[in-house]
Amino acid sequence: MPDFAQLLAPVLENRRLARDTYLIRLEAPPVARAIRPGQFVMLRLPGSTDPLLGRPFALYDTVICLPSTSGRGVGGEGDTVKPPLPNGRGADIDAPGAIDIVYLVVGKLTGLLSQVQSGEKVEVWGPLGNGFPDPVGQAKHVALVAGGIGQTPFLAHIRELLGERGYGGQVARPRAKRVSLYYGVRTADLAAGVEDFRQAGAEVHLASNDGTLGFHGFVTDLFEQHEPPDHVFGCGPEPMLHALAKIAERKGIPCHLSLETPMACGVGICFSCVTPVRTADGWDYKRVCVEGPVFDAATLHWET
Amino acid sequence: MNRLVVTLGRLHLKNPILAASGTFGYAREMEGKVDFAKLGGIIPKTVTKRPRIGNPPPRTVETPSGMLNAIGLDNDGIDHFIAHHLPYLKTLPTAIVANIAGKTEDEFLEMAEQIGANAPLPEGEGSGVRGLAGLELNLSCPNVSGGVDFATDPDVARRVVAGARRVCPLPIIAKLTPNVTNIVPIAQAAADAGADAVSLVNTFIGMAIDWKKRRPILGNVTGGLSGPAIKPLALRLVYQVARAVKIPIIGVGGISTIDDVMEFLVAGASAVQIGTANFFDPTVCGRLAEQLPQALEQLGATSVQEVVGQLK
Ligand SMILES: Cc1cc2nc3c(=O)[nH]c(=O)nc-3n(C[C@H](O)[C@H](O)[C@H](O)COP(=O)(O)OP(=O)(O)OC[C@H]3O[C@@H](n4cnc5c(N)ncnc54)[C@H](O)[C@@H]3O)c2cc1C
Ligand SMILES: Cc1cc2nc3c(=O)[nH]c(=O)nc-3n(C[C@H](O)[C@H](O)[C@H](O)COP(=O)(O)O)c2cc1C
Ligand code: FES
Repeated sequence: MPDFAQLLAPVLENRRLARDTYLIRLEAPPVARAIRPGQFVMLRLPGSTDPLLGRPFALYDTVICLPSTSGRGVGGEGDTVKPPLPNGRGADIDAPGAIDIVYLVVGKLTGLLSQVQSGEKVEVWGPLGNGFPDPVGQAKHVALVAGGIGQTPFLAHIRELLGERGYGGQVARPRAKRVSLYYGVRTADLAAGVEDFRQAGAEVHLASNDGTLGFHGFVTDLFEQHEPPDHVFGCGPEPMLHALAKIAERKGIPCHLSLETPMACGVGICFSCVTPVRTADGWDYKRVCVEGPVFDAATLHWET
Repeated sequence: MNRLVVTLGRLHLKNPILAASGTFGYAREMEGKVDFAKLGGIIPKTVTKRPRIGNPPPRTVETPSGMLNAIGLDNDGIDHFIAHHLPYLKTLPTAIVANIAGKTEDEFLEMAEQIGANAPLPEGEGSGVRGLAGLELNLSCPNVSGGVDFATDPDVARRVVAGARRVCPLPIIAKLTPNVTNIVPIAQAAADAGADAVSLVNTFIGMAIDWKKRRPILGNVTGGLSGPAIKPLALRLVYQVARAVKIPIIGVGGISTIDDVMEFLVAGASAVQIGTANFFDPTVCGRLAEQLPQALEQLGATSVQEVVGQLK
């Protein structure tokens, strides 16, 4: 992986998007240039021994911005996520300088991360993992199904699918005609990024467990009520992914899932992030950080 | 002469910084991240006679300044290692030390012999293919036949090391467990049996509990503690063995900075292995090798050997 980089990235902004949910923008040109939708980075607080290990976070999106030495004034647009430049305009179109990560505060690292101020530095390494594959040939309609904080990998994915932007040095090219995002949250005030997804061109369908937002119930049930797409991608908690895999199998829809398995290294050297995957003669544990995080749902062996 | 070169019995390394077994994959994973040429050596993940599926997840859990692991020696077996990993490892511009664990003494010897077949060929006979630089015996796993860890019984440790020396021409390193009352007799037994060096230490057995669920957090219940939390413990063991046993020591345990490296050298280690630090700082090994000359200069030393065991 020649595009790998580890660096101390200046924080350009770190702002609240929704309840317990933040967007952090990190100036990390080598990572921003190389990373593709569905890949992830590890984040760590420099020098910290508690938390000690990095934590995995999906790419929300890359950001085109002028390089800075001061770590200030980059992106330069106040509160809004800077929209991508339309393809072909601007000399730096292929050279994003920063990455956005959207994170939910659940524990030690995410709690401390939410306190970090612009100008401070966060250690980042990546890009890691395989990223989303192209949808099946001639995919007219691609569906994305997200639960909880599982919506984060889909903003860049929508833009790539609709050919708005190229990632990892690739030229933008449409891979789908239409993208529907089904996004389920526990309750309304946890929904984060909905406007970004709409702006990126997805048809957004919302669901909540308590009925405070959109469809009252599971996002997988909402997905099932709509016409089947040509290919579906899912990210979220495992029970939701199980349900999605079953629906996709029943309806014969190609399905790829991005797993959120806890990780210690993110680079394939510790063998902690394993998940059971089908093999010719049964199943074997595979490392999610290098063989995933995106898997063909049909290869996952979840019965064990 | 290069002042970073170290000699551990018959094992020669260009510098004393090695990547520890189980914390650097099979090196392939680190290609493009770490410049292997900068490292003193790489010890790939332990291989066993037969493939092992490993323990059910969760396999690791973070603890203050450290982590517990119970990977369960997940690997595809020695035949797969020799067929798929060794050819790649042998192309790398650094010393490769294979690491094996047997369930029985016989398994250790069979594997040592298989690995020994990959020793460098004598001058002239080589086809340009590099050989392995050494063999590390992971003596810290449960001995199924005897019911004890190989490295908790000096007699068993002596037999395994002596047997490996007989069947394998490579330099032999015995990696010991700290989970014993007194590590000195075990290190002494390894030395008597002809080990070129001892690696001190493997992980300390520990446990983590979710009291609300009243369950252990690890799938395997207990696990091995590693990382900065164990550095003082490992340092003490290195110091203790260095004073009692005349055998080169490779210090392992919680090393993540150049200061840590220097502490182990001064305590009596001739080389060090970097383990858990690779996880939270993937480029650390190469950086430590770069920082070493300046640290030696601070002590006015012209070689690594000059500072080894120089604790006042
Ligand atoms: C490929 C990948 C991409 C991810 N992308 C994002 C993202 O874009 N945004 C985001 O907010 N999160 C994401 N996550 C999850 C994120 O890594 C965890 O939430 C984070 O590690 C929690 O760290 P912490 O120190 O705050 O929590 P900790 O203090 O480590 O843990 C707090 C609690 O959460 C549990 N926990 C920790 N990690 C996980 C996990 N991965 N799954 C389920 N439970 C867990 C722990 O067991 C504990 O009970 C992703 C995970 C993966 C594997
Ligand atoms: C996840 C993990 C896996 C390990 N696997 C092995 C292994 O396969 N063989 C071995 O000899 N040691 C193994 N170790 C032990 C390390 O090589 C090292 O001895 C120990 O972790 C202490 O060093 P550290 O604190 O720098 O990690 C493993 C350690 C960790 C954390
Ligand atoms: S997180 Fe270490 S191997 Fe995947």
